[in-house]
Amino acid sequence: MTTTSTPTLADAASTSAAAAPRWWEQPWVLFAARRALRLLVSVWVLVTASFAMIHLIPGDPVRGALGPTAPAALVEARRTALGLDDPLPVQYLHYLQGLFTGDLGTSLISQLPVVDVVGQRLPATLALAVLAFLASVAVAVPLGTLLGVLTRRGHGRRTELAFTTTSIVVATVPDFLIGVALVYVFGVELGWLPVAGNASAEAYVLPVLSLSIGPAAILARIVRVEMVTVLEADYIRTARAKRLRARRIHLRHALPNALTSALTLGGLLLGSMVAGTVLVENVFAWPGLGSTIVSSILNKDYPVVQAIVLVYGLGVLLVNTAVDVSLALLDPRSMIREG
Amino acid sequence: MASDHGRARRWRGVLTTPVGLTAAVLLVAVAVLTVLGPVLWGTSADAVDTRDVLATPSPEHWAGTDNLGRDILARTLVATRLSMVLAVCAITVAVAAGLLLGAAPYLLGGRAGRLVSAAVNVAVAFPGLLLALFFAVVFGVGATGAVMAVGLAGAPVFARLTQTLVAQVAGRDYVSAARVAGVGRLRILLRHVLPNIAEPLVVNATIGAGGALLAFSGLSFLGLGVQSPAYDWGRLLYDGISAIYVNPAAALAPGLAVLLAGLAFNLFGESVAKGFGVPVLVGAPELRSRGRAAAAAADAPTGTDGDPDEAADDVVLEVRDLEVVFPTATGTVRPVRGVSFDVRRGEAVGVVGESGSGKSLTALAVSRLVSEDGTVRAGRLRFLDQDLTAPDSPALRRMLGTSLAMVFQDPMTSFNPTRRIGRQLAEVATEHQGLGRAEALGRAVDRLDSVRIPDAGRRARQYPHEFSGGMRQRAMIGMGLMGTPSLVVADEPTTALDVTVQQQVLDLLAEIRAADDVALVLISHDVTVVAEVCDRVLVMYAGRIVEDVSAAGLATRAQHPYTRALVAAVPHMDTDLDQPLATIPGRPVDPAEVPAGCAYAARCPLADARCRAEDPPLVAAVDGSRVACWHAGEPLPDPVVRTAEDRTGLDALDADELVEAP
Amino acid sequence: MSELRFEDVTVRFGRTTAVDRVSLTVPVGTVVGLVGESGSGKSTLARAAVGLTEPESGAITLGGRPVPHRGARRPLQMVFQDPYSSLDPRMSIGDSIAEALPRDLDDVRGRRARRDEVARLLELVHLDPHRARDLPARLSGGQRQRVALARALAGRPEVVIADEITSALDVSIQGAVLNLVRELQAELGLSMLFISHNLAVVRYVASRVAVMQGGRIVEEGPTAQVLGAPEHDYTRELLAAAPGRKPS
Repeated sequence: MTTTSTPTLADAASTSAAAAPRWWEQPWVLFAARRALRLLVSVWVLVTASFAMIHLIPGDPVRGALGPTAPAALVEARRTALGLDDPLPVQYLHYLQGLFTGDLGTSLISQLPVVDVVGQRLPATLALAVLAFLASVAVAVPLGTLLGVLTRRGHGRRTELAFTTTSIVVATVPDFLIGVALVYVFGVELGWLPVAGNASAEAYVLPVLSLSIGPAAILARIVRVEMVTVLEADYIRTARAKRLRARRIHLRHALPNALTSALTLGGLLLGSMVAGTVLVENVFAWPGLGSTIVSSILNKDYPVVQAIVLVYGLGVLLVNTAVDVSLALLDPRSMIREG
Repeated sequence: MASDHGRARRWRGVLTTPVGLTAAVLLVAVAVLTVLGPVLWGTSADAVDTRDVLATPSPEHWAGTDNLGRDILARTLVATRLSMVLAVCAITVAVAAGLLLGAAPYLLGGRAGRLVSAAVNVAVAFPGLLLALFFAVVFGVGATGAVMAVGLAGAPVFARLTQTLVAQVAGRDYVSAARVAGVGRLRILLRHVLPNIAEPLVVNATIGAGGALLAFSGLSFLGLGVQSPAYDWGRLLYDGISAIYVNPAAALAPGLAVLLAGLAFNLFGESVAKGFGVPVLVGAPELRSRGRAAAAAADAPTGTDGDPDEAADDVVLEVRDLEVVFPTATGTVRPVRGVSFDVRRGEAVGVVGESGSGKSLTALAVSRLVSEDGTVRAGRLRFLDQDLTAPDSPALRRMLGTSLAMVFQDPMTSFNPTRRIGRQLAEVATEHQGLGRAEALGRAVDRLDSVRIPDAGRRARQYPHEFSGGMRQRAMIGMGLMGTPSLVVADEPTTALDVTVQQQVLDLLAEIRAADDVALVLISHDVTVVAEVCDRVLVMYAGRIVEDVSAAGLATRAQHPYTRALVAAVPHMDTDLDQPLATIPGRPVDPAEVPAGCAYAARCPLADARCRAEDPPLVAAVDGSRVACWHAGEPLPDPVVRTAEDRTGLDALDADELVEAP
Repeated sequence: MSELRFEDVTVRFGRTTAVDRVSLTVPVGTVVGLVGESGSGKSTLARAAVGLTEPESGAITLGGRPVPHRGARRPLQMVFQDPYSSLDPRMSIGDSIAEALPRDLDDVRGRRARRDEVARLLELVHLDPHRARDLPARLSGGQRQRVALARALAGRPEVVIADEITSALDVSIQGAVLNLVRELQAELGLSMLFISHNLAVVRYVASRVAVMQGGRIVEEGPTAQVLGAPEHDYTRELLAAAPGRKPS
């Protein structure tokens, strides 16, 4: 018998039954507060990192951007315009101020406001990421669930081996290689689908495919493993002891629990999908943030890079928070369990 | 964990799987190419031929040529070295930084430690590629910058892994023991923690190397990695894709190379992880086979248990020659080996035994709940005149769902954590009794009330984690009462509970029995609990019933030496304080290694040659009790009083204790 | 030898109080049993004594001085509940014991002396000294618990804390470990704080008993007196609940 001295959750619940908890002691309030705090801290880290980026670059970023032949006067003028001659804290303050007023600076190359550049490119990237996410979930969850049931303990060892190996192989192929292969097969050899731009609905097919195949394989694998693990759980034995139909056991009792565990890892996956658009956009000349950030890095157009890193980072953080919240809705314990 | 011998066996296990072998061969090939590639094809890779640029594959150039007429295949082979060197450098950076950051919270402790782990937690939320882009900007475009970028981008994941593993090991008692013994933190980290987390770290680093390789090719592909005239696979790919309409092979050859090398690392790492049972970053470890080398393949013939007479009318459960068999890696184990007993209406039968005696599996087998890899066989297995060996049918499920109640050991894990308690009870009624949702929920509240859950209406809407352990166990009993049970099978229902709560649960079970003449099968390792609650006790050892005796006679009329020793070995509130406790030398039999003859012979003071050769049958006496022993009832020698001076007998005791396989 | 004394010890985890102003003495040469249910705070008290948890207030002294948690000598040793997690799976049992030997004693300096000392300790707990090079995986649960005892004794402790050391063992093996505890106590005059949830086990090994509930000690006294004529309601409740007490 364990003699842990930390009180169990039930103890906490029973004591709280005695003295009704004040509203700010409700688990969901504490949960929301913790989550909000974590999001705020993460956003602050992100903003500071994107600010610091330009200062971590060795040498003069403006000189780097304009090239060695640019006249010194021009460089100096740009430096002043960017505020790079101010003391660091002042620059930081200006940067934060700019963020709050929607001013992300001006592109060193095109002289356009960075907000406009981002605003113009964001929708294409967003569309790509969301479609790819939906596609991979739509394939992975049913597939993983089905395989979990088929390969539960004492069943389908060959199926398991075949699936696991296939999913590892598929997940290993980087999205840009899938993209290249798809371009070759459907664009070059067959000529069925467009391989560049996002002008038509068909143009979405290949980029979405190349972005979603890998994550779908990983997600399906996670769902399967979780499903197999959950099917071993004591409460599944309880459900069997209630003599429920197999379908009810699998879908009502096992699946929600498998998904809650899968969701945690799935969130990370979704985040990496946001970043994955960078490579895929470059394969398909997709007019989104991904192709812009690469050309901006190569052109040393730092204000644009800064802004796009910020946007990607925010996207990832929002996705993670959304995952945490849905996790809490699915599994009430998770609100209390982790801090 | 694994001894050296066990490790060798596991390596063999990894390398004999088709996937593991393929990956190993690929890895060796990559290593050879890394060393020899530039030596063998260096010149042809750099040979410019302006007359033959952008050629498609031909016998001279299997993958065609690039825009300077250089051979793509040769360049791809030569690029192995640079690609691998860069990937290995990057993963080294990642692992080193990750180890430092991951171990820091443990070494620093306190506030500084929490700060580091919070920082890692924030960093790990950002995808590697995003971090890599960030660092690529900071370190500048080029190979060195890309190494740092890919390496540092991978660090948070390794830091988190290290942190988790360190925390796991640091929570183990042997680390606490070392701290109590005065061993310093750094020393503990080096001597106890790192050796125990090395395996998963190495495996994940292998997989990580594959990941670094692919990430690197991604950066080079974007033009942010290796710059001309140097080239790695990513760079070749970058050049190749611009010419994909002219010569697709120029993109496909380096692409294939990246893929094969990445796969080699990944598949090898995964195979090793699976073989060694090591967790990897994605997903949980696969289930490990529970069995060991099973000696039971050579099935020794077992005497079937003494047949109780034809079942009487009031028998609820009738079990004859029950066997449970599980497959293992090397054969099968038979944890239950021919068990026969009856349970009458309203009767309480206790089943006692130590771990591995097969008592819980017997309970699961008579309830048709043995996990699906197990096989249950029985001469007869009948519950309320229904054949339980029959295939599954809706009628059978309904009968069992309403007439057979189960109570499991761990109330913490036996309820579905994501569903409300009331719904979980109501489900029985909607599934088997055709009740509507509201009606069923009403009945659930009523049953919760009857097992004395206070404020049942409110409690029914709560989740399991809001119940205390004792309340959950009562709710579990209430779930059994949703139907009209004739039999309650309770498998260690109070083991996880405190003594005062244990008494409440036992009282509740007794009440239910008394009220409706419900029979009870109570599985327990605790002789005193069983003696208190039950009418009759079945003592199990190594998968067989060795004695069937009335509970009242357990202390005085038991015949089997094991039963007698078990009763004497457990201190109770009236144990003589001047005498040492009786001890049973050796340890319980492993179901995978059941010896010939009587399984208890190795630990029995009465054992002779016959016991070691012939398994005694379970024989019924006139009073209805049954015992399986060639020397039943013979006097036992006094328990050996062992003092520190009396060294002669002590090692005999150890010699008997079987060695546990790794 | 000196006595272990808890004075007004309080341990808190966040907002919950695990140990609430506990005072308790383990006199020289006696085994004091500490009983209570899960969550009563008995393990926390033990962990505070050996420095694995920081008490919020109060003093834990050994022979009048604070228990040392630094330096070469650790006069307070502890044996843990789970025999499968209390030994490093990658370290031979001999090394595990040797690690706990005091580093400032002349008679255990040098490789040979240490090996002899490990052999002596293994014999003391009835294990074959030749098994010093075995890894824990080759030992049964009962044997591991005996190694853990030997490791605790290696530190030349003045007091040993045993935290539920038999509750993870099979019943047929538990008896041997309990016998060993009694034997070591009689032979070495060991002082011990013996923590268990099992009243019968405590009754068998301890001469004094303290009953803990909700972080407080509600009753303390000689074993026969506390179990024979309990004064506190909770002690009576525990006794009534002990299996085998009910007239059937």
